[in-house]
Amino acid sequence: MKLLTTLAFITLFLSTFAQNSEALVPKDAISVFSINNVKILQKISLDDLVNYQFMEEVQQEMFDGSMAGKTLTESGVDFNQRMNFFQGTGKRFGVSGFTLGIANREDFFEIFDDYAPMDSDYPGVDFYEAYFNRMALRGNSAIIFRVEPNFDDVEEMTDSIWYARGNDYPWSYRYNDWDDDEETMEVENELDNVIDDLNEFEEYESEENTNNPVEDDNDMVATENPYEKTYWELRDSVEMAFQLSCMKQMCDELFLKNESLMSSDPRFVKQLGHASDGIFFVDNSRNLERENDLDYLRRIYPKFAQNVDELYEESLITGDLNILDNSVVMDMKVGYSDQLGKIYMEMTNTKFDKAVLKYIPENNGGFFTYTVNMRKAYETTYEYLMPMLTESEGPISMTAITLELIDEFVNKDAVFDLYQGNMFATYNGVKTIKTKKIVFEYDENTFEYAEREVEAEEEMPVFTFGFTTHRNDIPERILKRVSRIYPDLINHGNYWEFENKVLNTAPLFFILQNNLFIVTNDEDLARNHPKGYGSLALNKKTAKQAKKSAMLFAKVDTDRAIQDLPKRMFSDYENEILDVLRGKSGELVMSSSKSTRSSTDFKLSYNFDGAGTDSGTYILDLINSLYIISK
Amino acid sequence: MKYLFSFIAFGLMLPLTSCIEIIDDLSINEDGTGTFRYTVNLSSSKVKLNSYLALDSLDGKKVPSMEEIKERVNEVVASLRKQDGISNLTIESNYTDFIFKLKMDFNSVANLQAAIKEVAQENSKNRVLDELNHNWLSFGKESLSRSIPHMSIERGKNLSGDEVASLKEGSYTSITRFEQEVDRFDNKNAVLAKNKKAVMVRSDVYSLIQKAQLLDNTIYLKKSDGQN
Repeated sequence: MKLLTTLAFITLFLSTFAQNSEALVPKDAISVFSINNVKILQKISLDDLVNYQFMEEVQQEMFDGSMAGKTLTESGVDFNQRMNFFQGTGKRFGVSGFTLGIANREDFFEIFDDYAPMDSDYPGVDFYEAYFNRMALRGNSAIIFRVEPNFDDVEEMTDSIWYARGNDYPWSYRYNDWDDDEETMEVENELDNVIDDLNEFEEYESEENTNNPVEDDNDMVATENPYEKTYWELRDSVEMAFQLSCMKQMCDELFLKNESLMSSDPRFVKQLGHASDGIFFVDNSRNLERENDLDYLRRIYPKFAQNVDELYEESLITGDLNILDNSVVMDMKVGYSDQLGKIYMEMTNTKFDKAVLKYIPENNGGFFTYTVNMRKAYETTYEYLMPMLTESEGPISMTAITLELIDEFVNKDAVFDLYQGNMFATYNGVKTIKTKKIVFEYDENTFEYAEREVEAEEEMPVFTFGFTTHRNDIPERILKRVSRIYPDLINHGNYWEFENKVLNTAPLFFILQNNLFIVTNDEDLARNHPKGYGSLALNKKTAKQAKKSAMLFAKVDTDRAIQDLPKRMFSDYENEILDVLRGKSGELVMSSSKSTRSSTDFKLSYNFDGAGTDSGTYILDLINSLYIISK
Repeated sequence: MKYLFSFIAFGLMLPLTSCIEIIDDLSINEDGTGTFRYTVNLSSSKVKLNSYLALDSLDGKKVPSMEEIKERVNEVVASLRKQDGISNLTIESNYTDFIFKLKMDFNSVANLQAAIKEVAQENSKNRVLDELNHNWLSFGKESLSRSIPHMSIERGKNLSGDEVASLKEGSYTSITRFEQEVDRFDNKNAVLAKNKKAVMVRSDVYSLIQKAQLLDNTIYLKKSDGQN
């Protein structure tokens, strides 16, 4: 009966949405971000839209000025249909793009004016092409997509043809002919010069940028025989052939067999049914399945790889995005297999350590608390891992012996009493610290100069990190021993101070109180509040929220934490994620629920002051961050 | 612990070049021999420098370790020592306060210039440096003309906006000393020591990026009979 109801529901749902944009999301999509309420994007300019990372694969044709100053409202987009951004990797190819509804084709092609019509082999579907991208229109829905064949397949086929034609190893020149160090150095230097020259170009012609083509006087000559392809030319040809073949496969599936993500994954259908402003769906298990780095493992240790795949087979992240008054709320459900669920349940089956709250000042720029039971996590994982390793092939099964011995001989009581798994960290803003600098003073008579040390001030971000421990005697013993060797390490009773330990300039403090081991460069905390901030600690409401949150609670004042810290301290990847918060005032709160056997819920809310930014921008920013994380 | 250090180090990453103080001190004897002293004082930025050094990479580029920096400094010094006309070369490196003092004697201004060019070329990975065709020092019996190598200015132009802004806090001091008294000089910003044997021109580094000629100067010496 239950199955019948489910089938009936899915059938009803599919028939309702069959002709809509979401029905065009390919089945190989692993991550999908759907904006249900496209109306919130009406004010978004197309120029802003194409700047998002999730548009990067299919956006280049839109840079030609056809969209200048226009918004989605003027682009012929149907606001009654969802807009779905997707990316994914199948067995043969990767696919990315977006689907949307079209209300007015004439307006739509004013924006997408570089797309030229092409023959269609699919009844009722119109095809257009621009560079490597394709657009397919069925009824009032469109899919704009790009297909990239699996590069390993391309290389394998290229190599095969290359050798079959009697050619040598294509890389031989590199390893056989360039043994001479000096010659290698010269080539490297030349390469450096070329890179430097390229950097000097403000713009150069590329697939993504055709506005300012650079004339190249030195056209590359293929080979002595122009009818014979070089290895690279051959590989390009193979790639092109593969791309066409993969594109055909995808279109056959989508338009002839009616196979889409909706028809193949009822979990996606269920998520689409949520009445929220936007949803996202990330099938992490397929991400793992398609992970090329694991291919070696799969070939050599198939049994072990199978176990790993099974462990992550139900790994799915789904979520809802909702825009409320001056806030974006994201409810996220992280699903996993029963076995992982068992580990997570044990791991989070612990109590929040209230003592950490004493060390989080109310006036903080951001903090997080993390509450897990490391011992239970270890024991459950060990219980699962041992048979898995023992059953595995060859050398992997040998690691079981190592683990068994470690488990036997290591004093687990001491390890897990020292570090139980509960930790916290705070960012207390940038503070001015006293330092010294050298200045040169000049004699007016001769202009001879001499050094003089003077007081100076520098700004330093202040962080605190701590964890719960029942064995503070262990770090205390270590500190006592170290202080005998290093006189700069001083015991002040309530705290330890290591002079000039932070960047040879500022002191580092250790606080061993309240069953916590705390490390900080916050002089105020160490000297004035070693037993806790007391009335200056976190307010009761937030403290209660943190206690209530199961595994994780984080709260960040974006004005203080994100804006204060220089952009260059983060990697490009981290910056892409953090860009969502830059230039905006607000508060980011993340909390989690108790883990169940099948999932853990996370809630992320972002409250902003709302000044000057359209709510659609916030939702696109969030989608962009999710897209980058899921890539 | 390392985690905390990394965070602190990350947070301090402001431009490396901020608060740099350079003193370029040239003493010339009557016979054309002399002493060149070059001092780089980064003590005002030592927290930031230490934070850089705590990182593996910055802006996608590898951050050298302290050992690598020392090795590099030693290579340059060794290279300078090999140059004709250069003697008594010493370097004082203070890696706590980040102060570096290079001192060398030369037997002629031409040899000093040639030595610097040679070492610059050696360290340029065989790239052609147009600036090396230009002479920054020219000493006759009655006058000395000097300027700053433009390549350092060009490198300054490749810095980011933040870095350029912070260079306003840095300074470049050019001092030229003689055994004879100075009669006059062309640079209006230059000042004469009370003993009339040394000329100093100072500029902040940002202004130098804007106008490389700020430190250009031709200094005329009094003739031994008191006439110029």
